[in-house]
Amino acid sequence: MALVEVIDVVKEYRKGEHVIRPLDEVSLEIERHEFVSLMGASGSGKSTLLNLIAGIDRPTSGEVIVNGTAITRLSRRQLAHWRAAHIGYVFQTHNLIPVLTAFENVELPLLLLPFSRSERRKRVALALEAVGLSDRADHYPRQLSGGQEQRVGIARAIVADPLVVVADEPTGDLDAESTEQILELLMRLNTELGTTFLVVTHDPRTAGIAQRRLRLEKGKLLDRDCPAHVATITEDE
Amino acid sequence: MLRLLPWEYGVRNLFRRPGRTALTVAALTLVLLMVFAALSFVRGLNLSLAISADPRVVLIHSVGGGENLESSSIPARSAALVAASIPGIQRRYGQVYVSPELHLTTRVYVDGDEQGALGVIRGVAPTALLVRQQVQLIEGRWPQLGEVAVGRLAAVKLGRPDEALAVGQTVMIEGRRWRVSGRFAAVGSALEAEIWGPLDEFQQALKRQDVSLLAVTLGPGGEFGEIDEFCKERLDLELQATPETFFYGNLQAHYRPIRLLIWSIVALVSGAGVLAGLNTMYANVLGRVRELAMLQTLGYSRTALVLSVIQEGMLIAAISALMAAAMALWAIDGTAIRFTMGAFVLRMDSVAVATGCAVALALGVVGALTPALRVMRMPIGESLKAI
Ligand SMILES: Nc1ncnc2c1ncn2[C@@H]1O[C@H](COP(=O)(O)OP(=O)(O)OP(=O)(O)O)[C@@H](O)[C@H]1O
Ligand SMILES: [Mg+2]
Repeated sequence: MALVEVIDVVKEYRKGEHVIRPLDEVSLEIERHEFVSLMGASGSGKSTLLNLIAGIDRPTSGEVIVNGTAITRLSRRQLAHWRAAHIGYVFQTHNLIPVLTAFENVELPLLLLPFSRSERRKRVALALEAVGLSDRADHYPRQLSGGQEQRVGIARAIVADPLVVVADEPTGDLDAESTEQILELLMRLNTELGTTFLVVTHDPRTAGIAQRRLRLEKGKLLDRDCPAHVATITEDE
Repeated sequence: MLRLLPWEYGVRNLFRRPGRTALTVAALTLVLLMVFAALSFVRGLNLSLAISADPRVVLIHSVGGGENLESSSIPARSAALVAASIPGIQRRYGQVYVSPELHLTTRVYVDGDEQGALGVIRGVAPTALLVRQQVQLIEGRWPQLGEVAVGRLAAVKLGRPDEALAVGQTVMIEGRRWRVSGRFAAVGSALEAEIWGPLDEFQQALKRQDVSLLAVTLGPGGEFGEIDEFCKERLDLELQATPETFFYGNLQAHYRPIRLLIWSIVALVSGAGVLAGLNTMYANVLGRVRELAMLQTLGYSRTALVLSVIQEGMLIAAISALMAAAMALWAIDGTAIRFTMGAFVLRMDSVAVATGCAVALALGVVGALTPALRVMRMPIGESLKAI
C-alpha cells in the first residue's frame, strides 16, 4: 500500500453561477521515501492538491488516504492533531514567526505533541544540525538570510519526524545559490533520513532532483517527465 | 487536549509594533483612569453613607421628619423621657446612651469671608460621644463655651481651605463668633463634613428650645420594637423611630440616580476603550493572517490561536490597568468632594481596584475576540496566500 493515496479527487470552487474545477478526478500514489515534484502553470491547482494531501483543505469529492488514515473523514479538530503528528509543511520563504528565535520556531510543532522538554530540546537540536544551522539557534528570523530562514523552515517541517513533507515553492523566493543549498539539503534528507517529499515548484531545477515528476494541466494529473523548456514556456504564458 | 501557543509569543508580539502598542496602552490607560475615578466616586459615596450607619443606633425624630432630619423638631424633654422609659437603651456607669441633637444647615462665615457658605451644624450634648462612636478627636479638644469642633471634611464642605477651620481660627455662625477648639474624624462617615458645638449654646443662638432628633444606642438586650412602641404610645410627643441603617439606606437610594449616571458614564467611556482596543487588535491580527494560518497548518487549533490573541489583548489591558490604578491611587484616592449633603472622600479601595481591573480585562477580551474570530473563520489555504 502506498503511503499517500489520492483517489478520484475533485475540487471545485463556486463563485455564484461560476464553477472552477482546479482538480478533476485526480488520482495519485506516493510511496514511502519517494521524492515527488509537482509542476504546472500558475492556477493549475498545484497548491490545492498539496493542501488536500496536507489535510488543510477538503476535496469536493474523492478520498485522500495517508498511511491508511482516510483524512478526508477526520473532523477539523482531529485533522489539526493529525497534521501536527504526520505532516511537515515547508512554505515559501518568510514564514517563520518573527518574534520567536530559530530554536523556538522549530520547536513549535513539538509543543503540540507529547514530548518532554528535554526530548524537545534534543529533537530541535538535531533538526537544526540537519539543516546546518546549529549555531543560529538563538537568532531571530530578521538576523538570518533568506536561505537560512528557509532552512529553519525545513528544520521545523522535519522536527516531528512526519510521514510526508510537503513543500509549496520552497525555493520560489530564493537566489540561485540559496536554491542550490536548499535542493542539496532536501536531497540529503531524502536519501539519508528517508523523508518522503512532495514538492510543488515552478523551477525546473527543483523539479529535476525529484525521482518522479508530475504535472497538473486542466485539472488532470500527467504522470510523466516534463522537459525543462516546456515548463519554462508554460510559465511565461 | 488543548495545546496552547507559547506564552512568549503573545508577550513578544506586543513589541512588534511598539508605537502602536504604546498608543493603545495610553488610550486605554486614560479610559481606565476615568473608570477608576467614577468607581472611587461611587465607592466613596457608598462608604460614607454605609459607615455613617451604626446598626445599634436608632434615630428618634418627629413624625414624618425621617426624610429630612433638619426639618424634624421634637420637644427637648423627650430626651429625659426616653432615657427613663425605655429599658432597652444602653447604659453604663449611670450614663444613658441618648444623644439629643440639633441638626441644621446654615451659613458659616470663616475669617475674612463676607459671603459665607452653607455648612452642616450639629449641636450636641456630652452623650453624643457615647452614641456616635465613630467620632474621634484628632486635634485640639472638645468645644466648651463659645467653641466648636470641626469634622475633617468640614472645610471641604464649605469650599474653603483647611486652614480656614484650623484649631484657633474663628467662624461666624448664626450671628455669633465661635472659636475652633478641635478637629475630629469619623472613619469616613458623613459626620466628618459637620461642625459640632454645645447643644445649649446653639439653641440660644437659634432661639430654639426643641431638638431635631435623639440618637440612642440599643443595649445588649434592647430591641428597636421597644423604642418604636414607646413612640407610638406617647402620641403627645409626636415621635417616630427609625433605625439609623434604614435612614442611610434611604439616603443611598436617594443617590441612586447619581450612581446610575456614573455607571452610564463608565459604560460610555468603556465603549471608547473597546474601540481603541478593537482598532489595535484588528490591525494586529489582520497583519498576521498568514502567520496565524501557518500556525493552524502546523496543527494549532483555532481555539489556541484565539486564546493567544486574547492573551495579547489582556496583556495590553493589564498594563493599562496597572498604570491607571497607580495614577488613580496617586492622584484620585483621598480627594475630598463636596456635595449637597456634606462631603466625602474618593476611595480607590480594593473593590474599586478589582472592579476597574475586571472592566479592563473585559475590554481586552472583547477587543481581541472580534478580530480573532474573524480571522479564524477564513479557510487556512486562503489565508496562507495573504500577504
Ligand atoms: N479559495 C478559493 N476560492 C476560489 N477559487 C480558488 C480558491 N483557491 C484557489 N482557487 C482557484 O483554484 C485554482 C487553482 O489554484 P491554486 O492555488 O491551487 O493554483 P497553483 O497551481 O498553486 O497556482 P500558483 O502556481 O500560482 O501558486 C485557481 O484558478 C484559483 O483561482
Ligand atoms: Mg500555489
